[in-house]
Amino acid sequence: MSFIPGQPVTAVVQRIEIRKLRQGEHLILGFSIGGGIDQDPGQNPFSEDKSDKGIYVTRVTPGGPAEVAGLMMGDKVMQVNGWDMTMVTHDQARKRLTKKNEDVVRLLVTRKSLEQAVRHSMM
Amino acid sequence: MEGKEEISDTDSGIILHSSPDSPTTIMKDVITHTRAVKLKHKSLEDRLELCLLELRKLCIREAELTGRLSADYPLLPGEKPPQIRKRIGAAFKLDELSIPQGIKDSELNSVEAELSLQLQIYEAARKLCREEHLSKAVKKSRLQQCKCEEKKVKQLQESAFQLRLQHGRSSPRPSCISAPRGLGNSDDSSLSDSVLLDEEEVISQSSQPSVETTPSREPTDSPKPLPGPSPSPGPIPHQPPPAIPTLEELQSSFKDTLDLDLPPIEHSPWTESSLDQPYQKIKRKSRSSSCKSSSPAVTPVLPPVEACYGDVALPLPLSTHLRLCHTQSNSAPTTPEMHVRRQLSLRVPNSDPPLNLDKDRGRARIPRRRLVDYMVTPPDERGVYGNPAYHSNSETDDSNSEHSAPSYTSSPCREASYDLPRQCQPAYRYQQSSDKEHNSLGSQAYPPGPGYHLQPPQQRSGPSFYRDYYDDGMAYPPEMDMARLYHGHPAPCHSSRYEHWYEAAPVHPQCAVRPLPPHVRLSRAPSLREYSQHPPRGLPRQVVNEELKSWHQRNQFRPSSLDRQGAVRVRNIPGCESPLSQHQTYREQVPQRQVFQRAANTIPVQWFKEDDSEIASQV
Repeated sequence: MSFIPGQPVTAVVQRIEIRKLRQGEHLILGFSIGGGIDQDPGQNPFSEDKSDKGIYVTRVTPGGPAEVAGLMMGDKVMQVNGWDMTMVTHDQARKRLTKKNEDVVRLLVTRKSLEQAVRHSMM
Repeated sequence: MEGKEEISDTDSGIILHSSPDSPTTIMKDVITHTRAVKLKHKSLEDRLELCLLELRKLCIREAELTGRLSADYPLLPGEKPPQIRKRIGAAFKLDELSIPQGIKDSELNSVEAELSLQLQIYEAARKLCREEHLSKAVKKSRLQQCKCEEKKVKQLQESAFQLRLQHGRSSPRPSCISAPRGLGNSDDSSLSDSVLLDEEEVISQSSQPSVETTPSREPTDSPKPLPGPSPSPGPIPHQPPPAIPTLEELQSSFKDTLDLDLPPIEHSPWTESSLDQPYQKIKRKSRSSSCKSSSPAVTPVLPPVEACYGDVALPLPLSTHLRLCHTQSNSAPTTPEMHVRRQLSLRVPNSDPPLNLDKDRGRARIPRRRLVDYMVTPPDERGVYGNPAYHSNSETDDSNSEHSAPSYTSSPCREASYDLPRQCQPAYRYQQSSDKEHNSLGSQAYPPGPGYHLQPPQQRSGPSFYRDYYDDGMAYPPEMDMARLYHGHPAPCHSSRYEHWYEAAPVHPQCAVRPLPPHVRLSRAPSLREYSQHPPRGLPRQVVNEELKSWHQRNQFRPSSLDRQGAVRVRNIPGCESPLSQHQTYREQVPQRQVFQRAANTIPVQWFKEDDSEIASQV
């Protein structure tokens, strides 16, 4: 998942729709994110390109809404409800994902296995 | 061209003229003169022709580069514009450094070399792609080629990265980022310089995607221009070797550049955050608190002091808000007891009757007021109001206002009341357990336990208190803490409190002036009860003083957390000199803590609502 700044990014993405779980006053997404342009990308254990400052899924709660929706640990979040997630700070990403008034978040995620699958199918 | 005919005509004319002998000298003069002029004319015309020829060449060259024939191309009448084939700058030079030297890391090196070549190829393909004036079919095929190249680049990058990892060099790859840039530069210059560079030794790689084969290490001196994708007659313009940094170079310099020009946003360590909690502005510091909701276990562990401080920063906005509403409580010095007692009720809506405000203000300005506050707990005063719950308020004025407070609370609280459970959570948490009167909805949802370490006010206000707590190593029920707090400090606290007060007062007189909202004290009642039940366990005064002092100092030393929060800064009151100083003074005020607590747990937007709701719950 490398890209050239200023150039359009091509990625094989999967559309994932997470229905937030309402628990009392909380909306539960069932996953954790890491990364963002304000974090050290070199420490990201999930990215292939260690300069990638994208938002990555670092944990998926078993049985949680995210897992049900098909989100997987290590996925890179490209968009949330149409908002770009490849050039945002960690907090911005969190904000987008945890909006109180949105019960559903639609993610575009990309992951290695997806790309490989597509690549193999093309070869 | 017409010029030629003219010339020839004139030539003949001259001959004609000159041949007959003309008797008059004047005539001769004229003749020689015209002759000279004509000669000059001819030379000029010759030059013009040369220029036109040159122009034609240039136009064609330009057309080869741009793909379009310039309108300046001098066409002879009836002549058709020449067919021009565009040439792509397909030649480039790779840095020697990127070409494997020696045997070590041979695999990695070769992959890198391939990668750098592939990058160039990709770049060329991309340019072809962007070319205008193409038929659809051509465009499509070029797009495909481009994508194909891109894929290869990615593959190579991947494998290079893997290799790098294997070799223990996990440094981020600059190549993918910077190489294209370098390419772009070189490309631009190549257009103009290409002629000069033709003789340069270059490794050229055709831009044709199908030539993927083995672009790898060619010795630098073997020029090997391959035909571009569109067959182009004539020489292929070569790209200059210029500033394409090698991968290695880039890599080595990458770290340097990182140091030199840091990105506008500073890197913080890579963290992950669970999305199961509501969004909070404070991320790092309050993280411990944010975890609370998810882990309901009763943890006796209090957050580190720093964490508390970080939390402290939050309340600022709220407190300012309070101030604006005139609801700010008197800036009571930060005594643990006071603080605990008032926690619940600090948030007073604008509903305060003007009368009370005036009274409070008048008093607040003077230290005496504080004295009154501190007197709070003397047992003898309890009897005055008959209600044990209220006995804590030694100040008659305040207590009066308290009693009346419920009636003051205005509509907003009721409106917001539906929000109660959430709003109440932090502030009420420990009160809930102790406070039977306020069985707030939040209590069920949030067991008192987890609230412990979340409650900044307690910890902040009374370091001694929570230290005790630690020492004992047990988790006390909330009531216990409170009780202890009360018992421990009553006498010693007064003195220390005064110290604080005096320090703070001169700096921020405005803070001091704020009257305490009447019903603030209502909330404390339970704690007082507790207090009465537990035998006082006096702490040596010295100890308490020390604690308070050290705590105070600590407060002053921790500016950073505040600055980090954009929200806090934004909401600063203009009147205050600096967020920091303001913050400190605020901390000493009881209400802030409460605010803070709440802020940490909830979204800023909801604060106002919460206030209202809180009030409502009290009522």
